Amino acid sequence: MSPVFAGAAPPRPRRRHTSLWAAAAVGFVVALLVAVLATSQSASSVEGGSPLIGKPAPAVAGPDTTGRQVSLRDFRGHFVLVNFFATWCVPCQREQPDLVQFSQRHATSGDVALLGVIYQDDPALVAKFFAKQGGSWPVIKADRAKLDFGTTGVPETFLIDPNGIVLKRLTGQVSDAGLEQLVRAAESLRA
Amino acid sequence: MSLRRWLPWLALAVVLVGVLAVGRSGGHGATSLDGRTRRIAADIRCPTCSGQSAADSDAPTSQEIRALIRERLQQRQSTAQIKAYLVSKYGPRILLRPATHGVSLIVWVLPVVAVAAAAAGLGFTFRRRRSRPSLHASDDDRRLVEQALGR
Repeated sequence: MSPVFAGAAPPRPRRRHTSLWAAAAVGFVVALLVAVLATSQSASSVEGGSPLIGKPAPAVAGPDTTGRQVSLRDFRGHFVLVNFFATWCVPCQREQPDLVQFSQRHATSGDVALLGVIYQDDPALVAKFFAKQGGSWPVIKADRAKLDFGTTGVPETFLIDPNGIVLKRLTGQVSDAGLEQLVRAAESLRA
Repeated sequence: MSLRRWLPWLALAVVLVGVLAVGRSGGHGATSLDGRTRRIAADIRCPTCSGQSAADSDAPTSQEIRALIRERLQQRQSTAQIKAYLVSKYGPRILLRPATHGVSLIVWVLPVVAVAAAAAGLGFTFRRRRSRPSLHASDDDRRLVEQALGR
């Protein structure tokens, strides 16, 4: 053995695990983020998509197409469907026959009432639309209602219970069968 | 440690703090009703548009939100009260800036933690490099190597 390399081997420097620790830290943060996001409620499932669910419905009042003052309070004691609507909105036009059918079926029993709210539209055009397409429920102009109900477009329909509590928010075109099912479910919960 | 060595870092810190302070207070000086309305509307998402604030959007709903903010400011309501009203109707998604509590806090805390960790990592690496002993082969070392190689 050469004298140069004789003797004890130089002490092996302690291995630093910097990259390992860094990777572990990043992994921990990512895992934490995934866990938090996976366990938190998704935005679309928060109380059926509206913070109003389970709370008293906002007060809505205004003149209907004939100029008569109508208020949501007038319907206390009945289920009410508050329907935000505009004549320029195609899904609103499409759902109108279903709403007419639904309202006619409940007209005699009087258990469910409909209240239309005009959304960025002219009451005169709405009156013409109803005259042509049918529908005898009051449709009111209450501009601030769309903010009070937190609407994001039309059509939007809210089911209010006889005590004035918001039960459901439906965005988009509704159907007669869908509304019937919804109201029956709400009625059976109350029974 | 000499002050001279730390002077550039100190200057950098002063500039950074100054820039952050100016940025934080930017636009907050508006005292007119229109200015305050606009400032609050800038934090509210237009509910019927995508990616626009109620201050920037011309959608009718945004115009109504601005009118509502104005009305409530005239009623001497605070910014927090006005935002709370809109959140009670639309949910927290109506706010363009995430809330500073709950799960949303992560959005604010994580970048700060990441920057602090990066700065600490850089500082640690520089310090370690600086403290590493510089090794120089002396003439005796060279001679020993040449002997070993049989030259």
